Amino acid sequence: MLERLESLRQDALARVAEATDAEALRVLEKELLGKEGVISEILAAIPTLPQEERRDTGRGANALKGELLEAIGSKRALLDEALVEALRDGGGFDPTLPPATPARGGLHPITQVRREVEAIFTSMGYEVLDGPEVELDYYNFQALNVPVDHPSRELQDTFYCDDSHTVVMRTQTSPVQIRAMERLKPPFRVIAPGRVFRNEEQDATHEHTFHQVEGLVVGEDIQVGHLTWTLRRLLNELFERELEVRLRPGYFPFVEPGFEFDVRCPFCEDGCRVCSQTTWIEFCGCGMVQPCVLEAGFSGREDVDVSKLTGFAFGFGLDRLVMMRFGIDDIRNLMGGDLRFLEQFPC
Amino acid sequence: MKWLARHVDLEGITPEDLAREITLRTAEVEGLERFAAHLDDVVVGHVQSREQHPDADKLSVCTVDVGGEEPLQIVCGAPNVDAGQNVAVAQVGTRLPGDFKIKKAKIRGVESRGMICSVRELELGEDHDGIWVLPEDLQRGASVSEAMDLVDWVIEIDNKSLTHRPDLWGHRGIAAEVAAIFGRELRELDTSLPETGEEPGLPVEISDLACGRYLALAIDDVRVEPSPEWLQRLLLAVGQRPLDLLVDISNFVMLDLGQPNHLFDRAQVSAGIKVRMGADGETITTLDEEERKVGIEDLLICSGDTPVALAGVMGGEGSKVAPETTSLLLEVASFDATTVRRTASRVGLRTDSSARFEKSLDPCMVPDAAAHLVRTLQSIQPDLKLPSAPVDVGAWEDPSKLVSLEGEFARSLLGVELSDEEMAESLRSLRFGVELDGGVLRVSVPSYRATKDVGEPVDLVEEIGRMHGYFQIPGKRLIAEVSPPARDPRQVLTARIQDRLSGGARFSEALCYSFQSDELLERLGIADEPRVRVVNPVAEGEASVRRSVVPSLLGRVEINRRNRDEVRLFEVGKGYLPELTDERGQPGEIHEAGLVLASPRSKDAAFNASARARLQGVIEDLLRSLGVSIEAGLRWRALGGEDLVPGWANPGRAQVLEVSVDDECVALCLLAELDPGCARSLGLVDELASDVAAAGLSLDALLSMPKAPASYRPLPKFPGAKVDVALSLPVEVACADAELELERSGKGLVASMELFDVYEGPNLPEGQRSLAWHLVLEAKDRTLDEGDLKKFLGRVERAAERLGGALRRESTVG
Repeated sequence: MLERLESLRQDALARVAEATDAEALRVLEKELLGKEGVISEILAAIPTLPQEERRDTGRGANALKGELLEAIGSKRALLDEALVEALRDGGGFDPTLPPATPARGGLHPITQVRREVEAIFTSMGYEVLDGPEVELDYYNFQALNVPVDHPSRELQDTFYCDDSHTVVMRTQTSPVQIRAMERLKPPFRVIAPGRVFRNEEQDATHEHTFHQVEGLVVGEDIQVGHLTWTLRRLLNELFERELEVRLRPGYFPFVEPGFEFDVRCPFCEDGCRVCSQTTWIEFCGCGMVQPCVLEAGFSGREDVDVSKLTGFAFGFGLDRLVMMRFGIDDIRNLMGGDLRFLEQFPC
Repeated sequence: MKWLARHVDLEGITPEDLAREITLRTAEVEGLERFAAHLDDVVVGHVQSREQHPDADKLSVCTVDVGGEEPLQIVCGAPNVDAGQNVAVAQVGTRLPGDFKIKKAKIRGVESRGMICSVRELELGEDHDGIWVLPEDLQRGASVSEAMDLVDWVIEIDNKSLTHRPDLWGHRGIAAEVAAIFGRELRELDTSLPETGEEPGLPVEISDLACGRYLALAIDDVRVEPSPEWLQRLLLAVGQRPLDLLVDISNFVMLDLGQPNHLFDRAQVSAGIKVRMGADGETITTLDEEERKVGIEDLLICSGDTPVALAGVMGGEGSKVAPETTSLLLEVASFDATTVRRTASRVGLRTDSSARFEKSLDPCMVPDAAAHLVRTLQSIQPDLKLPSAPVDVGAWEDPSKLVSLEGEFARSLLGVELSDEEMAESLRSLRFGVELDGGVLRVSVPSYRATKDVGEPVDLVEEIGRMHGYFQIPGKRLIAEVSPPARDPRQVLTARIQDRLSGGARFSEALCYSFQSDELLERLGIADEPRVRVVNPVAEGEASVRRSVVPSLLGRVEINRRNRDEVRLFEVGKGYLPELTDERGQPGEIHEAGLVLASPRSKDAAFNASARARLQGVIEDLLRSLGVSIEAGLRWRALGGEDLVPGWANPGRAQVLEVSVDDECVALCLLAELDPGCARSLGLVDELASDVAAAGLSLDALLSMPKAPASYRPLPKFPGAKVDVALSLPVEVACADAELELERSGKGLVASMELFDVYEGPNLPEGQRSLAWHLVLEAKDRTLDEGDLKKFLGRVERAAERLGGALRRESTVG
C-alpha cells in the first residue's frame, strides 16, 4: 500500500505540475482530493487493511493529502497570476474599432444660439418674453407707428390671415414691445426671441420663416449711448472678442432716431462671402423708441407717466448668427427637419 | 456723381468718401459702381482707309489705326463709316455688354480683327443707325471712356432707407444732403418761367381732395427728337433707357427733383382737364397698352370726361405724345399718397411716379418742377413758346411748420455735448430755419421735409444726431437696479423638455414651418379641421397655419427614413385654433411638444418593442423628470368609442393621458401609432416600411398641473425579497388593474414591480394572456421570511381568481 501511495504521489504531483488552466486543476483536485477522490478512497479502505499497515497508510495518506493541497494551491496561484498577466497582454488591441455609441440627439442650432443670447441678456437683468406668431395688425403695425396705408408695409411682404387684414403672421418680433408696455411697469429691460414671417421667395439666403430677437429698454433718461453699449456687450460675449462697430442712420417707423448697427466682419480683413465683400455686417436695426409708440403701448396706464420715459429698442436676426457661427450656406436647411443636417450640431 | 455735380461742387471728394459719408449720415449706400466700366477696353481708332468688301455690297473693309504698331483690318457693316473718322474700336479679346467677346473672324472671306461700335452696342444710347463717330482731336489708342469723359460713378442707395424721405427721391435732394455733410453750397436752381403769352389757359377743375394741387402749362413749338448726349448719358447712368427728348426730359425732371410730371399731346386734351374719382366699370388704356379697370377709389385725370391718365401712376395711351406732336400740356401735380398707393397696388402698376407720390410729396415743389422742365427743354429747343400762363389750382396747403426743440432734450437723448448754437448750425446746414430762444430752438421746417418726416422735436434730434455722426456717440454703461429677472414658467418648461428629449432620450430637435401644406394634411386625413389660413400664401396649398406640431413632424419621416433606419424628432411649438378666436380677432394659441419615432418594423415580438411602446417610455421618462408620475392616479387610456381620434392615429393603437384642469378633462398627452393608411400615403412602404409612433404633449396642461417635486425616502434597512409572478388573466383586464391588485396583495410590502413578459398563445385558457412581473417585497422593520412570501402569493392567487384568471407560476429569486 505504501508503494501505491508513493506512486500515486509522484503521478499526482506530476499531473498538478502539468495542469495548464484553472479548470483542469479543479478537475484534478476533485479526482484526487474530492469526496470520492483517490485519497478518500484510500482512507476509506484503511479498515480493510491488515492491522499493521493501517497506521502508516493513514499517516501516509494524510501527509499526501496535505502535500497535494499545497501543490494544488501554489499551482493555482501560479495559474491565476499567469491569467492576470494574460489579461494585461495588449495583443490585438485596437482602440479605433467603433464603440457601442448611444444614439444621437440634440438641440436645434437655432435653440443653441438663442439660449446663448438669452443667457447673455438675463445675466444683464433682462426678462425674456414670448409673443404670438399669429398677431393682430394692431400690435404688428399700428401701435408701432405703421398706420394702415404706410408705404413701409409693402416692404414687409406681410402674410395676412383674413381679408380685412386685422390678423397677420407677425413680420417682426417688435409687436412684443407693445405687449411688454401693456403689462410691465417701467423701468424694464426685456428681450423677445421668436419666429417671424415674410412672404418671400425662398432661396439659399431667403426664408419666409425666420427668427429674430427683439430688445426693449424703457426708463427715465435712456440714451443712445446705452443702446450702443448694450449691443457691444452682446457682441463681445457672442464672438468672444472686441469687434469694431458703427452706428449709422436707419429707418424704422417705431424708432426715432433710428439706426443700423454694423459690426466689422469677424471672418475677414478685406471682404468675404459673409460680409458680401464690404467688411461690415449689418447686425441689427435699432433706435430710440418713438414717443408715439410709448404713448400707444402705455395708453390707459395711470401708473405710468409716459412724458418722463425714453427707451431704446433693437431687433436682430438669429438665423444669420447661426449661419455665421456654423458656416451654414443655405438658410433653408434650418427649417428642413433633415437629420443629416440636425445631427451636425451635437449639443 | 456727374448728375449730383450739377447741384453741388464735388471737387476733391472721392466716390468712396461720398458713399461712406452718405451711408454714415443719410442713408445706406448699397453699391458704388463705375459707370460704363465695360468701355475701358474700347479704344479710339482712326479709320485710315475704307474699301468696298469684294463679296458683299453692304460691308466695308477698313484699316484702322488704334495706336499700335500696325493698323487693324476691320470689316464693318455700318453705312456711315468712312476714312478719316475717329471711331470706337473693340479689339479682339474685348468684352462688350451682353458678355459678347470680340474674336478674330473671317467675314465673307476677309479677315476682321475687331469691331467698330455703334452707340447702342456700347450701351451709351439708342442710336443704332451707324457707328459712333468720335470728335477729331482724340488720341489714337486711348480708352474711349477717358477720351470722351464718360468716367462716372453710380451710387446706389437702398430704397427702403428712403421710405420716410420724399425729398431724397431726386438727385437735388441727395445733393442737398451732400452739401450739408461736406459744408458746401447747394447751387441755385432757376425756377422762373420764361415769358408766357396772353392766350387763356386750359381750364382745370378738381373735384376731389385726393388731388391737392394741379398745374397745367401749355408748351408750343416743340419737336420730338433724340435727346442730346449729355441727357442720354445721365439717364443711362441711372439705368433709364433714353427714348425721345420729351419722354426723357419728363423723366429727367422726376429723377432730378423727385417730382413726377406728365406731358400730354395738347390736341388730345383740348376739352379741358378734369380731375375726378373713377366710376365703377370705367376703364382706361394706359401707356403700356393695357386696358385697366378702375373704380370709385381711383383718381383719374380726364379731358372733358374721357380718362387720359391714371393720376400719379401712368398716363393714358390715347393722349400720349406722338412723333409729330408739337404742342404739349405739361402736368405737374400733387396727389394724395394713400390714393396713389392703393391704385398702384390695385392695378398692379408700381411705377417710378407712384413710388414717389406714395411718400407724400411737397406740393410747394409743383411750380418749381414745371419751371425746371421748361428751362431744361428750352436749353435744347430754344424756340419753344409758352402761349399762356400756367393754370395752378387746388386746395393745397404749405406743409412748412414750426417745431420747438429744447436743447437739453436733444443733448440728453443723444448723450453728446453739443451747444445750442452747434445744433442750430447743423440744422441750418440742412436748410432748416433756426432761431435760438433761451434754451429752445425755434425751428422752421421747410415744406419738403415737413410733409411726413419732420414734425416732432425728436425728429429734429435725429437730424442733429446724424449730422454730428451717430458713430461718434460714446457708449454709456446702462445702470439699473439689479434683481433677478422674472422667468416665464412656459419657457422654463420648454427648456426642460428640450434638454430631456435631446439629451436623455436622444431625440433631435427640429424646427418646422408654422404652415402645413394641404397635401400633407390630406395625406394625414386632417384636411377638414378648422385652421387659420393666410390669404396670400407663399405658394398655393401652403396657406394653413398649424394647429398642432405633430403633423409637421410626421411630414419629415419619409425624407429622413431614406437616410436613417431610426428617426427620432421633436419640436416644441405653437398651434393656432380658429374656433377659439377672441373678441379682438386673435385665434386661440396652444403650446405643444410633438414627438415622432420611426424605425424599420422590428422582428422583436416583445410587448414593449414597438415604436409606440418605446415612445410611451420616452414620454413617461420625460414626465417623471418634470415631476409628473404615471402612478399617481394618472393613467393611459385607450382611445375608442366616442373619442375623437386624430386622422393620423391608428384608432386601434391610440392612447391618451387625461388630467383635470379647472374641472375640465383635458388631454395631457395623446400618443398613437401612425395609421397604416396614412403610412402608405406618406410613402412609408416597401423598403421605407416603418413602425411609426407620434405624440403631442400639451405644455398648457402641464403648466396647470400641481407640481410634485422629487422627495426623499429613507433607504431600506432590511434586505428585500425578490419574487417573479406570472398571472393568466382575461385580455380585458388592463395591466394597470392587475398591478393594482398585486399592490394590494402586498399590503404595503411591494417595493417595486416590473412587467417583463406578456404571452398569448397555447397553454392558456381561451381569451386569456399571461403577464409576468419581477417583484421586490420589502418591510421597514424586518427581513421577510418564507411565511411572508407564502401569504403574499396566496393573496395574489385569490386576486387573480377574482379577476377571472389564475396564478400560473411563481418563483423566488436569489
